[in-house]
Amino acid sequence: MSKKPTVGPALHKVIMVGSGGVGKSALTLQFMYDEFVEDYEPTKADSYRKKVVLDGEEVQIDILDTAGQEDYAAIRDNYFRSGEGFLCVFSITDDESFQATQEFREQILRVKNDESIPFLLVGNKCDLSDKRKVPLNECQTRAQQWQVPYVETSAKTRENVDKVFFDLMREIRSRKTEDSKATSGRAKDRCKKRRLKCTLL
Amino acid sequence: MSEVMKDFDKPDFSVDKYTKQLVKECVGGADLQQRKKEIQVYSDQTSATLKKSVYANYMQFIETAKEISHLESEMYQLSHILIEQRNILASLTDEKSPGNAQNNEEGEEQPTQEDVENSHATRAVKEMVQGFNGNLEGKTFLNEGALIELDTNDYRPIQRVFFFLFNDVLIVCKVKHDKRLEFLSEYDPKKIAVINIKDLDGVRNAINIITPDGSKIFQSVTAAGKTEWIEKLEVAFRFDQQKKTNKKGPAPQPPKAKQTSQQQKDSTNDAKSLVSDLSPTDSHAGKTVENYGPDWIHTASEEIQTLVAQRYFEDAQALIKRTQDYIAKDSSFVNAKHITEKVKALETQLTDVLLQELSNCHCRNLQVTLRASRRSLKILVDIGRARQACGTLLKVATMALRTAQREARRNNTEISELFFCDLTQVACEFLTAFETQPACVGALVVWCNAELQYFASQLIKHYLTKGTHLDAVAKCIEGIRKPCAKLTEIGLDLSYHLEGLLRSTLESLIEESRVRLLETVGRSEDTWQPYNLQTKSNLKRLLLELDALGIDMRTHTTGDTWINLTQSTVLFTRHYLQLTAQCAHLAKSEVLWPSLELLLRDMMMAQQAVKPVTGLSVDPNFVLKNKLYLLEELLPIAMANFRSISGSERKCEMLLDLQRHLRKQLAPVPKQRSVYQTDVF
Ligand SMILES: Nc1nc2c(ncn2[C@@H]2O[C@H](COP(=O)(O)OP(=O)(O)OP(=O)(O)O)[C@@H](O)[C@H]2O)c(=O)[nH]1
Ligand SMILES: [Mg+2]
Repeated sequence: MSKKPTVGPALHKVIMVGSGGVGKSALTLQFMYDEFVEDYEPTKADSYRKKVVLDGEEVQIDILDTAGQEDYAAIRDNYFRSGEGFLCVFSITDDESFQATQEFREQILRVKNDESIPFLLVGNKCDLSDKRKVPLNECQTRAQQWQVPYVETSAKTRENVDKVFFDLMREIRSRKTEDSKATSGRAKDRCKKRRLKCTLL
Repeated sequence: MSEVMKDFDKPDFSVDKYTKQLVKECVGGADLQQRKKEIQVYSDQTSATLKKSVYANYMQFIETAKEISHLESEMYQLSHILIEQRNILASLTDEKSPGNAQNNEEGEEQPTQEDVENSHATRAVKEMVQGFNGNLEGKTFLNEGALIELDTNDYRPIQRVFFFLFNDVLIVCKVKHDKRLEFLSEYDPKKIAVINIKDLDGVRNAINIITPDGSKIFQSVTAAGKTEWIEKLEVAFRFDQQKKTNKKGPAPQPPKAKQTSQQQKDSTNDAKSLVSDLSPTDSHAGKTVENYGPDWIHTASEEIQTLVAQRYFEDAQALIKRTQDYIAKDSSFVNAKHITEKVKALETQLTDVLLQELSNCHCRNLQVTLRASRRSLKILVDIGRARQACGTLLKVATMALRTAQREARRNNTEISELFFCDLTQVACEFLTAFETQPACVGALVVWCNAELQYFASQLIKHYLTKGTHLDAVAKCIEGIRKPCAKLTEIGLDLSYHLEGLLRSTLESLIEESRVRLLETVGRSEDTWQPYNLQTKSNLKRLLLELDALGIDMRTHTTGDTWINLTQSTVLFTRHYLQLTAQCAHLAKSEVLWPSLELLLRDMMMAQQAVKPVTGLSVDPNFVLKNKLYLLEELLPIAMANFRSISGSERKCEMLLDLQRHLRKQLAPVPKQRSVYQTDVF
C-alpha cells in the first residue's frame, strides 16, 4: 500500500454486495468468463482480476465477490474499505433482497464516509420477469433517492452485464481524475462539500 | 573417434597435457585442423545429449509433479473423511454423556487429546519463534504452515513466512535463511478478512488477507493448502460462536446422523417400556410360554444405529439383513412388529446417509469422486436402492464433469479429449456398479446424451463461433469425433447424436466459409505468364509441398525455376487441396457432405471463371492449358482425396456434374482432346 504503484494499466476496484442468492457470483462469472453458472454455491469472499478496454484505454478491473449470507455481516467492513465502487445487487424476484439493499447502502456509506462513492443499484434476474416481486417504479424511486443509477440485469441472458461493470468503472475513473485535481486543494473537505451539494439538490 | 575422446572422461585429464600431446602427434596444420574438427563434433554431440537428458528429466519431473498433485487431492479427501468421522464420533459421545452419568470420563478424553496438540503447538511457537513473548495458555491450536508472501503490485515473492493459527490469534513469522522463524506480527482473526483469489494474472493458490495494517497476498504451495487455510481462518473467525453452540448441544456437523440417533434413542426407550408393559399382561392372560426371540434381535436396532454413526455401513447393512431374514422366518416373538418397523426405518435411514455420502463425494477431481463413491454405491445396490443411487451418482458426476471442463477451458487446455475421457470413466464406473440393473443403464444413456448436449452447447459457444475458419473447425471436429468414436468400445454410441447436435452450426459455418472464400478467388491480378520461382530451391520446396498434398507437378516444370502454369493456378492448387482435406475431414459425417461438396464445386467454378483482364495480351492457348489443368488434373485428384480422406463410398455427384459441364465448355479446341484422361470415377 505504501509502496509506489508500478506503472501499468489503471486498476479499478469493484465490490459486489447484496443478499445471498441474488446472483452476485453469477454476474461476476458471466462478466469474467462469459458463462452462466446454474448451481448455487454460497460465496465467502472471492476476488477476480481482468484486463479490459474502457473507452479505448486498457484498464484492469478487480472484482471482489462478497458473501451475501447474514453470518458474514460482521466482517463486511473490512472488505468494503478497499472498494472504490460498489454494485449493490438484489433480485427482482425477491423483495427481501431489495429491502436489504438499504442496509448495504448504509454500511457502505458509513465505512467509506462518502455520499457520492461510485455505486450502482442492480436489479438482477430480470429474465424471470414473470416472477417479479419488486415493482420497477419502487426500484427507480429508491435509486433516485440515493442519486445513483438503476440497471436491471440478467446473469443468465447476459443482459446489461457488461453495462453495469463498465458504467461503474467509468464512475470510478472520473472520480479518480476529479480527486487527483482536488488533492492539490483540500481533499479532506471533499466529503463535506459533496454532502452540502446533495442537500442543496 | 570415441576411443580418442575417452581421454576427456578420465579424472586426471589435463588440458595442457592433452594439447601438448596433440601438437606432438599431429603432422602439420591440416592434421591439427582435422583433430580440432573432430573435437568440435564430439563437443556438439555431447551438448546435444545433455540437452536431451535434461529434457527427459524435465518430462519425468512434470509427470511426478502431476502424480503428486493427484495424491495430494486424495489425501485431502481422506482428511476430510477423517474429520467428518471424528465429528460423528464426537456427536455420539455427546449424546451418550447426558444419559449416562458415569460416562463423564469419556467426555473428558477428547479435550485431553486436544490439549496435547495445543501444548505441542504452544511449545513449538515458544521454541522456534524469536521475538514472540505472547501468552498462548489456554488457546486452541488450529493450523500451521509455510506460505509465501507476494508483492501486492507485481505478485513477485517477497519473503517466506510461517503462520501459526490459534483460536484468537494468528502469528505471522518470517522464515529466515537459516530456517529459524522470526516473529513479524500477530492479528486477531476476528479483525482480518480473508479473500480467496480466484483469478489474478495466473497467480495460483493465493489468498488475500486484509489486516488492520494493510492488504497482503500469501501464496500456498498447493491448492489443498490454500483451501485449508481459508477454512481454518474461518473457524478461528467463528470460534466463539461455535464454542457456544457446541456447549448447547452436540456438534452441528452431521445433521443426519445426529438427528436419527436421537430419534433412535427415544424409540428404543419406547420399545423397552413397551416390552415391560406388554409382557406382564400377556403372561397373566394366557400363561403360555412366551417367545422372546434371540437376545440379539432386541438390541439389533440400537446396534445398527451405532454402526451407521460409526460409518461401518457394511456391518450395519449385514445386521439389517440378518434381522429381516430372521423375522421372515419367525415373527411370532414379542415385539416383532415393532422391531420390524424399526429396522425398516433404519434401512431408510441408512439409505439416506449413504445417498448423502454419495452426493458429498463431488470434489475437484472426477477420479477421486468416483473412487470415493464406490463404497456407498455398492451397499445401496445391495439394499435395492440402485435407482436412487444411480440418480445421485450421475448428479455428482455432472458437477465434476462440468467443473473440469470449465477449468480446462479457462486454462486453455484441450477439452474434447477430457470430456470423452471423463464420460468414459463415469460410464465404466457406472456399468461396474449397476451391471445388473437395466433401468440404471437406461439412465446412464440418458445422462450421457444430456451431458453431450451440454458439451456441444459449450463447444458451439466457445469454439465454433461465427467466423471460425474452416481449418480450425475441421481440427476441432476431428478432435471430438475420435474420442467420441472410441466410446463404442464400451458400448456407447454417441456419434450420431453428436453430429446431430453440431449439424446446423457446422452447416452455417461451412456456408459462411464458402461465401468468404469465394470472395478471395481471382482477387490478385494475373499476368497469365508461366510462374517463375526465381530459385531452384524455391521450386523444389513448392513441389514437395504439393506432393505432400497429393499432386505431382513435376511434369509442368520447365527450366530450373519455372512452372508452366500461371502463379494464380499454382497457388489455387495448393489452397484447393488444403481445403479439400479440411472439407473431407468434416465430411466424415454424411449429413455435411452436400454443403462441403458445394463449397468445393463453387471454388472450382470460380477459379475456372477467372478471365484475363481486358486489354491484356495473352496467349489463349496458355489460358486454355490452365483451365484444362484445373479440370483434368486438379479436380480428379481433389475428388479422389475427398473420398479417401472422408472414407466414404459416396460419389462426388456435384463435382462430377461440374466436370462434365466444363468439358463441354472447353471442348471446341480439338487439339487438346488427346490430353484428356479417362475418367476414373
Ligand atoms: N434465472 C436467473 N437465475 C440467476 C440469475 N443470476 C443468478 N441466478 C441463480 O441464482 C442462484 C444464486 O446465484 P449466485 O450468483 O450464486 O448468488 P450470490 O449472490 O453469489 O449468493 P452468495 O454467494 O450466497 O452471496 C444460482 O442458482 C444462479 O444460477 C439470473 O440472472 N437469472
Ligand atoms: Mg456468490
